[in-house]
Amino acid sequence: MRTQRLRDTALYAKAPAPAQAVDKHITGQVRVLTCGSVDDGKSTLIGRLLWDASDLFEDQREALRKSTRRVLDGTHLDYSLLVDGLLAEREQGITIDIAWRYFDSANRRFVIIDSPGHAQYTRNMASGASHADVAIMLIDARHGIKTQTRRHAALLDLFGVRRVILAINKMDLVDWSEARYREIEADLKTLVWKFRFDEVTAIPVAAVTGDNVARRSEAMHWYRGPTLFDQLNRTETHGGAAAVARESFRMPVQTVIRDGQDFRGLAGTVTAGSVAVGEEVVDTVSGAAAKVARIVTMDGDIATASAGRAIALVLDRDLDISRGAVLAKRNAKPTAARQLDVRLVWLSEAEFDPGARYLLRTATDLVPIASLAVDSLLDLESLARKPSTVCAVNDIALARIELGRATALDLFASAPATGGFVLVDAIDGATVAGGVVTAAAATTSERGANRNREAFSLTRDLLDDLCADLDDTAGAHIERERRSRAVAEILRAAGVTVDHDTATKRKR
Amino acid sequence: MSAQLSHLDVLEAESIHIFRELASEFRRPVLMYSIGKDSTVLLHLARKAFWPAKPPFPLLHVDTTWKFRDMIAFRDATVAEHKLDLIVHTNKDGLARGIDPIRHSPSNYTDVMKTQALKQALDAGQFDCAVGGARRDEEASRAKERVFSFRTAGHRWDPRRQRPEMWQLFNGRLGAGETARVFPLSNWTEKDVWRYVAREKLDVVPLYFSAERPTIERNGQLLVLDDERLRPKPGEKIVQRRVRFRTLGCWPLSAAVASEADTIETVVAETLAASTSERIGRLIDHDQAGAMEKKKQDGYF
Repeated sequence: MRTQRLRDTALYAKAPAPAQAVDKHITGQVRVLTCGSVDDGKSTLIGRLLWDASDLFEDQREALRKSTRRVLDGTHLDYSLLVDGLLAEREQGITIDIAWRYFDSANRRFVIIDSPGHAQYTRNMASGASHADVAIMLIDARHGIKTQTRRHAALLDLFGVRRVILAINKMDLVDWSEARYREIEADLKTLVWKFRFDEVTAIPVAAVTGDNVARRSEAMHWYRGPTLFDQLNRTETHGGAAAVARESFRMPVQTVIRDGQDFRGLAGTVTAGSVAVGEEVVDTVSGAAAKVARIVTMDGDIATASAGRAIALVLDRDLDISRGAVLAKRNAKPTAARQLDVRLVWLSEAEFDPGARYLLRTATDLVPIASLAVDSLLDLESLARKPSTVCAVNDIALARIELGRATALDLFASAPATGGFVLVDAIDGATVAGGVVTAAAATTSERGANRNREAFSLTRDLLDDLCADLDDTAGAHIERERRSRAVAEILRAAGVTVDHDTATKRKR
Repeated sequence: MSAQLSHLDVLEAESIHIFRELASEFRRPVLMYSIGKDSTVLLHLARKAFWPAKPPFPLLHVDTTWKFRDMIAFRDATVAEHKLDLIVHTNKDGLARGIDPIRHSPSNYTDVMKTQALKQALDAGQFDCAVGGARRDEEASRAKERVFSFRTAGHRWDPRRQRPEMWQLFNGRLGAGETARVFPLSNWTEKDVWRYVAREKLDVVPLYFSAERPTIERNGQLLVLDDERLRPKPGEKIVQRRVRFRTLGCWPLSAAVASEADTIETVVAETLAASTSERIGRLIDHDQAGAMEKKKQDGYF
């Protein structure tokens, strides 16, 4: 019955991973990224969630009750005060940061990652997304989808968030209108289907009054889906089936623990799959193999360790490896990569400098970069690539990297923990960019074969037939642009890389 | 061993991961050991991270000379039990000037005997990384703190210069003059710390458990008298009360709470049901609005 209802509101849902596999790996912790601007009522929504569903301390509740700030003609507390608490934010307006908040419901730990929606939102959202299991995208019911909504969805997709909740807020200000909700829901459907989200759910809410936040709305009896809190409670955490498959085992080596003459343990956290005593593991770069003799923890040896466990492996023979190595199974290794195609978000105020020295920081390795070339920038609204050799703060760039030596890397889409990286300025140590690997190879020719085809140019000529009814007025230009965008989106959804900037230009 | 991870398992693994990262990324780390429950958990996780070897860094205790006697006894017993390397540092200059938490304002006292003392100790030991037990849930200004937090020369915290952190990649490469603070318990809450103390059966300072103690009431808070340096003011009476502490610091600045919880189980139960946040008992935070954020910019841990 419940699943039936949920199906009404899930815009898109992949078949869930087998229940057993998922249940075994439920961590009891969900990291939630909130995206939206102050105007969308984001702080109020988080504050309301804390107020209604969390173990908020009584002194914090009392402070809010005593506050003279009221909203909705003085009838409701201003829940945003629970969130906008930082002195720097209040008085100096300097925060460009992510704030972390924690609360417990009856059986789950929630971690709320709040990235402020302002000028620096691209880099904050990108780093926030890298930590999140699920994202709440806020949409003001009066305004519907904005360009910001498209950008948020694109960023979530780029940096690995697979589950999204669309909270359509301020329903009280559109008279709890189902028609308005359905209209926005339909727009969202066309927006999200081209991304790789595993699950997308739309929920009509009113943060100020608490409708459908943690309490089912009486004003919106037409809505039969979950409340926001229900949906968060049923959100799967981490990976799904792929991340827990035994063969996908990954352990980036952090350090080698030595104790006396006899003990040599390779210490690290299992980032994917699992490993058992007696199994063979392989060092990705050297190809050297050994069998696991012991899996050591201070609480005693264990027989198997799966994703999320911090362990030390003792092998049956010494492999000459150290920090930076990634251990895997022989038949499903990462790439010993020197050539990479990447997408990155530029985080530093200092622009990309082709003459500067950068280092690539992987899970545990730090590798000199021989060359880094930006090819294009991604327009987050149209998802079109614009050729560019420069990039600056908040840009999303597609780039090629040649490493000074080989290191173990995965494609981010298949193994996020070993397919993500940050770029480090070799001189001042600053983290200048974060990125994901989209193609990895030992040599350039191999990478060429792995890479997507060149972008397809969607030119105006190709659209002539489709736009035969349009003349040369301004209105017709807008309509032509809209149609070309729609065609580009269809092509992209079919896996074609499209350059759609040329769609309004004639082929020479 | 079951593969199922509870949220404490997740937090434990994350903290161990952070310890192993900092030990690899920094040349000379030091663990800030302040004897309380958070330090107890921190030390336990450090031992797990490098087991069967010992943690590859010393412990540093900034001793203001105003710690409860029970705390010092606990510290020495812990160090002896695990054969750890402990550095104790006191700001001799502050001591000579007679800076104390009774006659001086909490903010002046904290600055001299804690903040300045810490800087002296870090400089003297040439430590490039100080590991602390701070949690993001403790106070609003800490909610945006990084796991790897950087300090410019002079140990100042500049919120604008903090590095973005993505995934579990912690970039510990230092620029000229920079040092780092690392917080392996960033994602823990007060409740998690107590749940973990109970789960791991860790010994903590007895002051966390309720007992009859000599107290006075001052500014609406209960103070426990630990020695002769604090005398009741006219009108204040010494009363034996059953009290315990939720947080421990310098005793004239730590307020006790009335409680009957005298076992780890009852303390955990009380914490989980608590209606007030723990810092309500920490007097320095009430000193001025945004106190912690200001202190942090000046170099308070």
